[in-house]
Amino acid sequence: MTAMGDTVADPAAQVSEQEVTAARRTGTFGRIFRRPSAAVALAFVVLLVLVAVFAGPLAPFDPDDKNITSALEGPSGEHWLGTDDFGQDVLSRIMAGTRIALAVSLGSVAVAALIGVPYGLLLGYMGGWVDRIGSRVIDMSDALPGLLVALALIAAFGRGLWSVVFAIGIVFCMAIARLTRAVTLAERNKEYVDAARVSGLRPPEILFRQILPNLIAPLTAQASLMLGAAMIIETTLSFLDVGVEGVSWGGLISAGADELRRHPFLLVPPGAAVILSVLAFNFVANGISDVLAGTSLGSLRSKACPSAAQLEPSASHAKPLLADGSFRPDGVLEIRGVTVALPRPGQDPVPLVEHTWLSIERGEVLGLLGETGSGKSMLARAVLGLLPRPTYLSAGSVILDGAEISGLPERELRGVRGREISAVFQNPTTALSPVHTVCRQVSEPLRIHLGLSRSEARDRTVELLELVGVEDAASRIEDYPHQFSGGMAQRVAIAMALAAEPKLLIADEATSALDTTTQAQVLDLLLELRDSMNMAVLIITHDLGVVAETCDRVAVMYAGQIVEVNDVTSLFDTPRHPYTAALLQANPAADQASAGRRPTIAGRVPPPGEWPSGCHFANRCSFAQPACSEQPVLFVDGVRCLRSEELAQAGALR
Amino acid sequence: MLKLIAYRLLLAVPQLLAILVLSFLLTYLVPGSPAQALLRFGATPERIAEVEAELGLDSPIHERLAGYIGDAVQGDLGESYLSKRPVTDLIVERLPATLSMVIGGVTVSLILGMGMGILAGTRLDRPADRAVMAGTSIAVSVPQFLLGLFLLLLVSIELEWIPVVAYVRFTEDPLLWARGMLLPSLALGFAASGLIARQMRAGMAAAVHSDFGASLAAAGVSRRRFYFRYGIKNAMVPVLAATGLTLAILVGASFAVERVFSIPGVGHTLLHAVTSKDFPVVQGAVVVIAVLVIVLNILIDIGYALINPRIRVQ
Amino acid sequence: MTGTELLELRDVTVTFTSGGLLSRRNPITAIDSISFQLSRGETLGLVGESGSGKSTTARAILRLADVDDGSIRFDGAEVTEFGRRTPLWYRRSVQAVFQDPKSSLNPRHVAARAVTNTLRRHGVKSRSARNEAAAEAFERVGLLPAHLYRYPSELSGGQQQRVAIARALALDSDLVICDEAVSALDLSTQAQIINLLADLQHSADLSYLFIAHDLGVVRDICDRIVVMYLGTVVETASNKLLFEHPKHPYTRALLAATPASHPRARERRRTRRAAHRDSRMTSTPPRGGEGCPFRLRCSSVMDVCETVTPPLQTLRDGSEVACHIYSEPQTSVAVAGCSEEA
Repeated sequence: MTAMGDTVADPAAQVSEQEVTAARRTGTFGRIFRRPSAAVALAFVVLLVLVAVFAGPLAPFDPDDKNITSALEGPSGEHWLGTDDFGQDVLSRIMAGTRIALAVSLGSVAVAALIGVPYGLLLGYMGGWVDRIGSRVIDMSDALPGLLVALALIAAFGRGLWSVVFAIGIVFCMAIARLTRAVTLAERNKEYVDAARVSGLRPPEILFRQILPNLIAPLTAQASLMLGAAMIIETTLSFLDVGVEGVSWGGLISAGADELRRHPFLLVPPGAAVILSVLAFNFVANGISDVLAGTSLGSLRSKACPSAAQLEPSASHAKPLLADGSFRPDGVLEIRGVTVALPRPGQDPVPLVEHTWLSIERGEVLGLLGETGSGKSMLARAVLGLLPRPTYLSAGSVILDGAEISGLPERELRGVRGREISAVFQNPTTALSPVHTVCRQVSEPLRIHLGLSRSEARDRTVELLELVGVEDAASRIEDYPHQFSGGMAQRVAIAMALAAEPKLLIADEATSALDTTTQAQVLDLLLELRDSMNMAVLIITHDLGVVAETCDRVAVMYAGQIVEVNDVTSLFDTPRHPYTAALLQANPAADQASAGRRPTIAGRVPPPGEWPSGCHFANRCSFAQPACSEQPVLFVDGVRCLRSEELAQAGALR
Repeated sequence: MLKLIAYRLLLAVPQLLAILVLSFLLTYLVPGSPAQALLRFGATPERIAEVEAELGLDSPIHERLAGYIGDAVQGDLGESYLSKRPVTDLIVERLPATLSMVIGGVTVSLILGMGMGILAGTRLDRPADRAVMAGTSIAVSVPQFLLGLFLLLLVSIELEWIPVVAYVRFTEDPLLWARGMLLPSLALGFAASGLIARQMRAGMAAAVHSDFGASLAAAGVSRRRFYFRYGIKNAMVPVLAATGLTLAILVGASFAVERVFSIPGVGHTLLHAVTSKDFPVVQGAVVVIAVLVIVLNILIDIGYALINPRIRVQ
Repeated sequence: MTGTELLELRDVTVTFTSGGLLSRRNPITAIDSISFQLSRGETLGLVGESGSGKSTTARAILRLADVDDGSIRFDGAEVTEFGRRTPLWYRRSVQAVFQDPKSSLNPRHVAARAVTNTLRRHGVKSRSARNEAAAEAFERVGLLPAHLYRYPSELSGGQQQRVAIARALALDSDLVICDEAVSALDLSTQAQIINLLADLQHSADLSYLFIAHDLGVVRDICDRIVVMYLGTVVETASNKLLFEHPKHPYTRALLAATPASHPRARERRRTRRAAHRDSRMTSTPPRGGEGCPFRLRCSSVMDVCETVTPPLQTLRDGSEVACHIYSEPQTSVAVAGCSEEA
């Protein structure tokens, strides 16, 4: 089932769209160059290639020129890196060795790709028994050490360049096949491939035109890693004197090993050459992977991210400028002028939630209604003191039972979370650790907050699970989360949240991922628990139906601001903000016959950073006037709209 | 659980058969005949035919394959072309030294790798994390035998902490054995520890940013309690999967490391056979090493199942 | 029924086999001999919860899943007998819009290619003709020419879904299968897309098979509705009959669980839900066996439900129900009396 909650996990996703677009336009490789480590590494690789190509003319000496009289000398003006046991110039030999090192690693990775990519594509695209057997072959190759395979093939084919290239290529082809298969399989299950099949595209077209372009970037990263690994194998082979015949880094190291006691410096130049080259390939690979993982914004973000000290909530006690009649200052929880912001490099922070005032009374069910990007989940995180880095509470405070909890040190906040306020999130199947029993997790708050012993906590956990409707609770507490259905897993998560009997439960899209009948059961459960425990519940949702079913009072959020607060019946009967009215009209209802074409709201919710300066809804509002865009609209008497009264009197919002 | 072990053992059978077939086919990859390769120069057609008959190379391929597999299952991997000794003996007598190094290497890589991974994973995006991650980048870039040489130079020759001594069997003197294995294990395990540390850190980071990380935090579980009660165990799932793959790398690298420390392992026999084209020994080494890796992998898989209830419980 | 059916499914069964090379687990019956028809110009809703088999049904019609048994007839042709290669005319006639707008477009291709690739396959040789057709299709779905050369990541969810619709409509198709096509969208965007689909239906004479779990959307736009439960069809009825006189106990439970559109209705609905609920609310029987699949959750279960799978039977008002309650005339009257819903 679908879930539309705000994603809190990655605040970078909310960074202005232009930034992302700009980053994308420069292309993958352009972005890699922006990372200093990867750029230096890439430059080093280019240098290696140049040295390999021009080793002959560049080298100060003939690498094979022997001169016993000047054997085993240290670095000097003549021999920059000294001489070896035959008096040969080490620098010239290192340069000559670059050829074999690069030829073997590039060649073997090319061989591996030529075999591995088609094989992986075939398995990933065909699926079924072809994949089952083919993958088993890949798995089998795990039992064969690469070096062993290479040695066996060299025994058969000899020590020629092609023989060694082929031998190492065989070692890596299965790893490339495995990656290719995994990516192909993942892409194949995406809907664009289904759509291509539905359009009648033939398998080769789908494979090469649709899937292959998505493979190139991850394969390049893998290939770069393998270049490093192949270079290590090549060096090892020539160290063992079974590699390609000729001047090689491994051979130089071997010579150094023989003179370990007499002239250990001989190890340093070839050792450094190998390590630096492999390091360069690995950094290039990391650069590509990071860009792929979307952390290209990471560098932008980390620069902007204030240090830990600055991150401490600055709890500025803004005067309750915007407080008004709808704000009841005697609630169990008060959110006073809370603003959550995401820092940006070289610019002002982007607000994700702005000047929010809200209070919840004991035993009340308050709905926080908003679409994607409204900031509703950020607000919940701010209340829990669990804002994802680097977002921070830039203004306002959170008051629990008259005491401020925002800005409390982490140690004291821990006593609040789970004990005073707890939360249930959207996805029940991932809400519990998959490798721990349900008992252990549900009993955490009992042990932390109530100091129960292990066996007391266990008994209480059984009671809690029975309370939330888990059948046969006593026999199920040693089960693991994957043994529960989605609805049951959400009940377990609720049991954990309620274990220490908090005053406030935050349900953040807690039923959005559930089936209709299960959702109804879980919502009914929440209401029963509210009654029996006299607990306040904050229901965060995008679903008007959930609000209508459960809430006493509703706050409607749009683009980071609360635009309207009212009791639930009044809000549904007489919406006072044009956005609320438009949402109500756009909502298809299963309990009313179709009214024909539904009125829609033009455009879309502006992302953070692109909010209009006046009323955030003005550019989509059918009642907007020039005055609406002139300056921020204040939240007065439960609604944030200049024309609210006028429109209500005219009956325009029904 | 027993069912899982039985299933895992059952899966190893076709794997083993495939490896036997591959190693058997190795001699057919050789350009010309193995007898020719063995005789090098001075090979007259009569002499080649003679040697082929002597080595049993003149019977049809399927008969020889069946015979090879039949013998191999009973532990007979043929005899060396050169020394005429049974291949099984040649390899098995050198297996303890190789196994010692590999087990030492795995231990080092797990201890060091998990240590670094936990250090980085509990300090995500802080200087300690960045330092550890930079360290792992370097660790995975140093060939194992090269690190062995540096360790030998530094610890044994320059600082003279551990004398360079001959290999001592575990059964002879466990303490001396352990002392002799210290540097080789370190050389072998350090690179792999970089891989393990990265997996561990990634696993910890995934746990911290996961949905269950959020719900446990909202229930009042402190960061510290979360790391040690939940983070590590969740991260162990990918770590153990990585350990299986690392194993083969360690075994291969041990061939070079044993030369650095003059340890009488399988590598020496194998290399000698490779350069002298003694194919039965090469084939035998492939089979024995593969069996070793398969067995170690089964043990790791069992550990994996112990940690991951999805596999253990139905 | 009459001869105007565009699509007719009869006793269609799809099973999946999972498992490894050595362990072959029992096949899972994803859909179990389901039947329904769709007339030309009609919007047929297909509703059910996760595991009901509604998406598998779509995939069977689209030939993305193999049919084990039964017949699918489209415009007089037997779809199950096409063989390995699906004829191009069928690919042109039957199109699809999927759930996740983000993954339904290739991230490495600009939006226009979603349309032009399809056109090239269907014989539009000249590049300029394809580009022109793409621009036209974009205009029809309310996108700007500027959107043609944007990558999917540069479009909003609603815009991405419009591109997917443009791709489906570029070929002048007869039937579009919308598999949860609006459920990933925000409320305000969802209404825009629904209106767009309705406009296109009128202008292009389309039929829709509209698969959704949101009964509100289904009530808004579907002419007839098929309700599925655990791989079987439990009820088929016109929009009005289904919502005002639901017959199958599962349909009634589903409607009672669907959130109200106004808080005033909730108390009454909650008491009704309590009546539908029993202690075994989450249990499901093993698939494929005999007996009614809903028997473990049904509040009006009888002895016969344990042993006999109820067949889909047509009632006097034209709806079809698979429930034993309606086999006996006397109980049928009693239940019809209590099955009000508004």
